[in-house]
Amino acid sequence: MSRLTEKHNLPGTLVCVEGIDGSGKSTQITLLRDWLKSSGKDVIFTEWNSSDLISQTTKLAKKKNLLSPRTFSLLHAVDFADRLKQVIGPALKAGFIVLADRYAYTAFARDVARGVDPDWVRKVYSFAYQPDLALYFDIDPKTSMERICSNRAPKFYEAGMDLKLSNDPYESYMIFQGRVIKEYQKMVDEFGLVKLNALDSIHSKQVAIRNMLKEVLNAKGVEI
Amino acid sequence: MKKFQKKHNYEGLLIVIEGTDGSGKSTQLELLKRSIQAQSYGVMVSEWKTSRLIANVIDDAKDRNLLNATTYSLLYAADFVDRLENQIIPALKSGFIVLLDRYYYTALARDVVRGQDIEWVKNLYECAPEPDLIFYLDMPVDVLLKRIIGTTGLNYYESGRDVGFSTDFYKSFEIYQNKCLEQYNRMKKEYNFKSIDGTKSIEEIHSIMQKEVQKILDSGVLY
Repeated sequence: MSRLTEKHNLPGTLVCVEGIDGSGKSTQITLLRDWLKSSGKDVIFTEWNSSDLISQTTKLAKKKNLLSPRTFSLLHAVDFADRLKQVIGPALKAGFIVLADRYAYTAFARDVARGVDPDWVRKVYSFAYQPDLALYFDIDPKTSMERICSNRAPKFYEAGMDLKLSNDPYESYMIFQGRVIKEYQKMVDEFGLVKLNALDSIHSKQVAIRNMLKEVLNAKGVEI
Repeated sequence: MKKFQKKHNYEGLLIVIEGTDGSGKSTQLELLKRSIQAQSYGVMVSEWKTSRLIANVIDDAKDRNLLNATTYSLLYAADFVDRLENQIIPALKSGFIVLLDRYYYTALARDVVRGQDIEWVKNLYECAPEPDLIFYLDMPVDVLLKRIIGTTGLNYYESGRDVGFSTDFYKSFEIYQNKCLEQYNRMKKEYNFKSIDGTKSIEEIHSIMQKEVQKILDSGVLY
């Protein structure tokens, strides 16, 4: 039994953006938030690894390279569970539009790319609500790297250096993020993620996203 | 003597002492450790919620009442997995006798009492190797209550106040510990606990545990 594969039937609307770093998802969700707010909608924004409870601990543990694939997975699940119970759930019950920058699918993609069992991590997150709209920004690892590493080297876990794929962080990033992308692509069918081409213009993506969200909201009887 | 069959493929032995709060686990663990060490075996002890990664976060979050049932489960699982990967399994691989104060049965009891689905909790701990021996210190709630009130006093989570059974501390503790005991009783058979009457004297309990461990050691499994 997983909530992730069942409609939530709550008054609110859950939208998430997914994709590897540099795929432009944060830009799009910010534009979406501003539009919804200016249209007078109740909007709540939440992002990956940001809970008061644990996000600082996780960041510190990452800096010290203390995490194994399994503890990496569990700490991110703690963060997610905290936000789901304290922020996302209550907001959906109160009828908000919840915008999530990354959702459980991030864990499925990254953790499985780290060698964690796909079924295990899906069960861990089985308490997560199914989004009304889940957008996946598809990009190739090279463009992603050029975008985020223009002025810094890839970070240890971001490059999957814990997997010892290569001693060169840039090469390791390419291999690891390539695996993450493969996992995302598998989830397009598995969870009905809507795939967008990250290389399209900011404007054309935003137009497409607003249209999709309008449809979702209209189906719930919300005019926009 | 029949060769003892280990429950996992590691060199060492995995021995667990389970029981509710105040059942005397740490005292027995210490005694057992000394008696095994006295026979020149390598012993490693690890207690519940002591990982370098996360133990202080759990304490801090509990102090500030920040936990819900799901984050409670996941944090304890993270603590456990960190100790498992960094202490317990390396020690088992090198042939140590690993003595554990609480194992995932504690999580199964507490999390289920907090309303979690048992299969969900089992999934969190599926990487845990089966212990070779599980002692369970069986204690009636009234004795537990006296022990805890007489020592550390009732605390918020040990009394299950977060679950909301009752706003009265005593009542809440009674209900919570009873529900935990129900879970332990259910697990006794499922996991083959060696149940020991926790109201016996410290020496008597130790002698029972010592005999069980000695049987395994005498079978030559660690030679």
